Amino acid sequence: MTTGNILEVKDLSVAYGKVEAVSKVSLSVPRGSIVTVIGPNGAGKTTTLSAIMGLRPSSGRVTVDGTVETVPEVERMVVRGVNLVPEKRELFGSMTIEDNLLLGGFQRHRQGHRDQRDTMEEVYALFPRLRERRQQAAGTLSGGERQMLAVGRALMAKPTLLMLDEPSLGLAPLIVREIFRIIAELRRRGVSILLVEQNARAALQAADYAYVLENGAVKIHGAAQDLANDPRIIESYLGLASKHQERLSA
Amino acid sequence: MNALRILSDEHQSLAAVLHAIRFMLKDIAAGKLEPDRALFQAMVHYLEAYAEQRHHPKEDRLFAILKTRTAQGAEALATLSAEHAAGPERIAALRRALADFTADPRTLDAFAAAFDQYATFYRTHMMLEEEAVLPLAHHALTPADWAEVDAFFAEAETDKGGEDFSALFDRLVECAPEPIGLGARPYAATR
Repeated sequence: MTTGNILEVKDLSVAYGKVEAVSKVSLSVPRGSIVTVIGPNGAGKTTTLSAIMGLRPSSGRVTVDGTVETVPEVERMVVRGVNLVPEKRELFGSMTIEDNLLLGGFQRHRQGHRDQRDTMEEVYALFPRLRERRQQAAGTLSGGERQMLAVGRALMAKPTLLMLDEPSLGLAPLIVREIFRIIAELRRRGVSILLVEQNARAALQAADYAYVLENGAVKIHGAAQDLANDPRIIESYLGLASKHQERLSA
Repeated sequence: MNALRILSDEHQSLAAVLHAIRFMLKDIAAGKLEPDRALFQAMVHYLEAYAEQRHHPKEDRLFAILKTRTAQGAEALATLSAEHAAGPERIAALRRALADFTADPRTLDAFAAAFDQYATFYRTHMMLEEEAVLPLAHHALTPADWAEVDAFFAEAETDKGGEDFSALFDRLVECAPEPIGLGARPYAATR
């Protein structure tokens, strides 16, 4: 480890054909912190996470725990302690909760680790609901339970950096609160978090530092608390009056 | 300045419970959901106890310091202070309507009306705080003020003698029906 950052991204660019979806994005995640990337739909948030994880070809430099990953590859990133909870959860609906969790620990098993049962107990301790339903098919779960399973599956790889893509998407306020409580708990347990969210209010409350992505580029960045009080952010992303009204009257 | 984050976070929790009650009332009225009266009671209890025991004391401390720093926002602060004082009475009206509904399901409309009245009041109250007062505090308080407020909030957070609102919130999430919660189960059965 050469710095206090678990992740450093420098000049990351991703193109779809001739269209540059992400342009020279640089960001870092200090160890033990929650960093969020907010921005409108289509800003390049998900593409950025996918590129860091090695799911999309990209240019630029990704450094994990002080080691440069010249061309990020998914399996290697998992081995390096980085894992992603994708926006669409991507669970195996016909498989049980327990089997979905075991799949999450597969890479560690291949590496010779035999702690999957212990890790699963830790996941169940975090999500008691999953323990109750462990023999149930994942496809029968509610939206909130599916999100919990997706996070639990990622935790089976014992990540030091967990990247979450829109964890609150499609969930009701009560469950969103629960998901963000769990994110805070993960940080307390030493997991660093890179959180992509459209729910800027919730993300800025949870995060230590924030980047605002627009049209594939970082427009503003700073301490989350400062951005939460930044008139530009309030106007564009928080819109207190309208959002608050909407949230409470939904 | 972590205090502002905590207050906003607490508003989100209260708003989430208001949203949940509103959703359940709509579904019950539409015949899609059987009422779980114990769950309603727990949610109304959360609105009352969390606001009165955890949330308002913090705001009252922050607002008291804010008053010493600026005359701006005096009208809003007076309104909020009066609303905090009237809070117990307003929630009591909601509790009475819920008690009536628990005794007689035919009073659902009256309970829904009482809830609407309370939710509108509390929504307006939180909006006034977030739009007029918290941004003012952000600019007007000194670093020493923030240190005092943050210390007070931190002490309040670690108060082990009070109710475990985190555990209560977990139970509400667990028992609330889909899609607002993890799926309906009788609240009383989770005790």
